Amino acid sequence: MTRFLLRRLLLAVPTLLGVTAVVFATVALVPGDPVAAFLGPGAPPEARRELTERLGLEQPLPVRYADWLGHALTGDLGTSISGQRPVADLLLPALGQTLTLTAAAFLLVLAGGVALGALGALRPRSAGGRISGALSALAVSAPQYSVALLLIAVFAVGLRWLPAGGTHDVFGDGGPIDLARHLILPAVAAALVPLGLTARVFRAALGGVLAGELADSLRARGLRPAAVLRHCVHNASPALLTIGGLQLAYLLEGVIFVETLFAWPGIGRLLYDALTARDLPLVQGGVLMVAVAFVGVNILVDAAHAVIDPRVRN
Amino acid sequence: MTRTARIRTRAVALPAAAVLLTAAAGCAGSSGGSAGAGGGNGHGGTLVIGATGKLPNPDTVIGGAGFEGKRLVSFQLYEGLTRYELLKDTDKPPVVTGALATDWQVAADARTWTFTLRKGVTFQDGTPFDADAVIFNLARYLDKKSPEYTDALGAAAAEYAGDIASYRKTDADHVELVTKDPNGHFPEDLAHVLIASPTAVRGTGSAHFSQHPVGTGPFSFVSQTEGQQIELAANKDYWRGAPKLDRLVIKALPDAAARTAALRSGGVNWIEYPNPDDIDSLKADGVQIATNSYDHLWYWILDTSKAPWNNPLVRKAANYAIDRKAIAEKLLHGTADPAYQTAPRATAAYDPAEDVYSYDPAKARQLLTEAGVPNGFSTSVTVPTGGSGNLLPVPIAEALQRDLAAVGIKVELRTTDWTTLIGAEAKGEVALGSDAVAQSTTLFQSEALLPLFLGSKSPFWTGHYANPQVDELLASSAANADQAARQAGYRTALSLVTQDAPWLFVVNDRNPRALSPKVQGLVQPQSWFLDLTTVWVR
Repeated sequence: MTRFLLRRLLLAVPTLLGVTAVVFATVALVPGDPVAAFLGPGAPPEARRELTERLGLEQPLPVRYADWLGHALTGDLGTSISGQRPVADLLLPALGQTLTLTAAAFLLVLAGGVALGALGALRPRSAGGRISGALSALAVSAPQYSVALLLIAVFAVGLRWLPAGGTHDVFGDGGPIDLARHLILPAVAAALVPLGLTARVFRAALGGVLAGELADSLRARGLRPAAVLRHCVHNASPALLTIGGLQLAYLLEGVIFVETLFAWPGIGRLLYDALTARDLPLVQGGVLMVAVAFVGVNILVDAAHAVIDPRVRN
Repeated sequence: MTRTARIRTRAVALPAAAVLLTAAAGCAGSSGGSAGAGGGNGHGGTLVIGATGKLPNPDTVIGGAGFEGKRLVSFQLYEGLTRYELLKDTDKPPVVTGALATDWQVAADARTWTFTLRKGVTFQDGTPFDADAVIFNLARYLDKKSPEYTDALGAAAAEYAGDIASYRKTDADHVELVTKDPNGHFPEDLAHVLIASPTAVRGTGSAHFSQHPVGTGPFSFVSQTEGQQIELAANKDYWRGAPKLDRLVIKALPDAAARTAALRSGGVNWIEYPNPDDIDSLKADGVQIATNSYDHLWYWILDTSKAPWNNPLVRKAANYAIDRKAIAEKLLHGTADPAYQTAPRATAAYDPAEDVYSYDPAKARQLLTEAGVPNGFSTSVTVPTGGSGNLLPVPIAEALQRDLAAVGIKVELRTTDWTTLIGAEAKGEVALGSDAVAQSTTLFQSEALLPLFLGSKSPFWTGHYANPQVDELLASSAANADQAARQAGYRTALSLVTQDAPWLFVVNDRNPRALSPKVQGLVQPQSWFLDLTTVWVR
C-alpha cells in the first residue's frame, strides 16, 4: 500500500509541472498587459516601463517560469500584480472558502446521488424508480447559471428564507448557523449536475450487480435480501468512488459560476479576477493550488479504491 | 511682473468624473443633481454597498480597482491636499476645494505652488497632520531612497504626482511643490495624491500598510474580508464633522443579477450600476434610482489613417446615421443621455451649440454620396465584452451596427475582453486589427490625460487622429492656472474635434445606482466620486 501511494505521489510531480508550465505559457501569451491593466491609461509610459522591468515581465518566458518555479518550491508564490499583496495572503482564505463550499456541495452529491441511485436500482419499475430517473436527468441537464438565479429569485428574493449571497450577514452575528444558511443555496446550485451524474452512475452500477451472477449466487445460498444488497453495494462502490472522485474534482474547479453569482469569495472568483487583470503570479498560484487539490483528491480516491478492491494495488 | 494668482476654493475646470480606460467600474449620479435619495435630519445606520468590481487595495494610491475602488474606499479613508466639492451645486461639474490644504498660491512661473495646510486635523490614529506628514507621503511616492517607497506605489502615484519635480516644507504649516512643467490643473491632480498617517506607515511598513490603513478621511478602516468586503466606521473626529452613518460596508458583487438580488433580499441597501433592464421593476418595488451626468463618453474611435474613415465626410455621415436617443432611452432605459459632440455634457467644455450630429439618415446618405461612397462600404470594430464604464458594450454596438447598415455601412463586430483591448491600445495597436474600437472614457479625469485621447503624439492608439491646432490648444490650456481661460481653451479644442469627427459619439452615462428606501440623504454630484457624509440609513 505504501509503495502504491509513493508511486502515485511521484506521478503527481510531472502532472503539476506540466499544468503550471502550460498555464504560465497560456496566460503570458494571451494578449493584454498586466501593468497597463493595473496602472490604467493615465500612467506615464516611463512608469509603465519601469514597473514592467521591476516585475521582470520583459524577461524571456522560460526564464520567468524557472524563476517562478524556484520561488514556488521554497513556498514563495510571489506578489499579486493587481492586488499588490503576497499571493499566498490572497489565495489561502479563498481556498478555505472554496473548500467549505465544495465540501458542503459534495455531501449533497454523495447523499443525494446514493439515495436516488439506489432507489432507481432497487425498484427500477416503481414510481419511485421512475421519479429518481427523471430527477437525476433533470439535475444533469439543468443549466447551472439559470438554476442558481432561480434559487436566488425564489428562496432569497421571493420567500426571503435564505440570503442571496456572501458568507455572512452584515447585520447578523456571523456565527456558524449564519454560515450554514449562506451555504445552502450555493451548495445546492453547485451540487445539482454532479448529483445527477452520480445518481445515474450508481444506479447503473448497482443495477448491474443486482442483476448479475453474484447476486444470483448469493440469493441461491439463501442470504437474506439485506445481506445480498450489502455485498452488491460493496461491489458497486468502486464505480461510486470513481464517479465521486471525478465529481469532487469537477466541483473544485467548477464552482466559478456559483461563486460569482453568490458572491462567495472563493478561489474561482479570485482566479477569474486574476485572469481578467492578467495577474500572472496570482493565476499561477491559484492554478497550482487547484491542481494540487485535484491531484490530491485523485490520489485519495485511488487509495480508497485500493482499500476496497485488492486487485487495484498491483 | 510677478503675478501671483491667489486661489481659494478654486473651481476646477472640468468635472470630476472619469471612466478612463481601465479605470473604474461602476457609477454614480443623481437625478438632475441634488439629493437623489430622501432627506431629513436623521443619522446612524449601516450602509452596505454592492460594488460592481473587485475591492481595492486600501493602501492609498495603489487601489487597483479603478475609480469605483477610489470612490467607495480610498477617498473615504484618505484625503489629498485638495478634494472635489461634491455636495454643492450638483447641477454643475464639481469644483476643487481645499482639503488638507486651506489655500494655495502659484508663482508667475506657473510651476511653483505654495500650499497652506489646514490646522487642527488629526489622522484616524490620532497623529497630528502637518507639513512633515505631506513631505513623508510625497517621499513615499516619489523618492526611491525613502524606506517606505515601493515600485507599485511609485508607478501608481505617477499618474497624478508624476509631474512633481521637487517638494519641501517651508514651515510647519506650508509646503512648496514645484511641477516639472507649468500645470494649471495641479490642484485637481493633488486631490488624488492621498496622504496617509506617517506613524501608521512606519509602524507596519509599506508592505503591510494595506492591512491597517490610516488616513484623515470621513471613514476609518475596521476590517477587510479578502475578496468579499471592506468594513469602515465613521471617523467621529473628522474635521468637516462626523459622517451621519455609523458603519459603511463595501461588498464586491461583480454579477449584475447577483447585485440586484442582494438589494431585493436585503443583503445590501445600495447597489452600483443596476442592470438597466431591471430599473423599472426595481422602481416598482419602491427602490430609489439615483442618476446624474458626469464626464463620461461612450464612443467609437475610428481609424482616420485608412480609407474610408480617413475622409471626414464619411465620419460625419456615420455620426448622422445613428439613433442615439433610442439607445439612451430604450436600450439603456434613461441611464444615459445621447452624446452629440466630443465634450461630455457634464463638463465645462460642453457647449450646447456644438450638439451638431442629430439623427438624420438622409443627410448621412447625402454625405456618403459626396464622399464618393454612395453605396456604403464594409468595415469592422473591436468591441469589449465588459469593462468599467462600458455599460452594455455589445448591445450598444449591435444597435449602432443596425443603424449604420441602414445607410449602407456594414460593420463586422469583433468582441474581445477589456484587458486585451486596452493592452493593445497602450501599445498603439488595435486588438483584432479592426478599423475602429468601441470604448468609454471619462475625458476630464484628469485634464492631464486629454492629450492621451486627442493628442497627435499620444502613446495610445487614438485612430491616428492629428490636429495641430487641438494639440496646441490642449497644451496651452493645461499650462494656464486661470480656470476660466483653461476651460475656454478646452471648449475650443473639443469643438474642433467635434467638427473633425474622428469618433462616433454615442452616449454619456448617467451613473445609475439603486438604493433601498431606507437610505436617506444621498447627494449625487456630476462626478464619479461621492461624498457619503450626509447619508444615513433608517
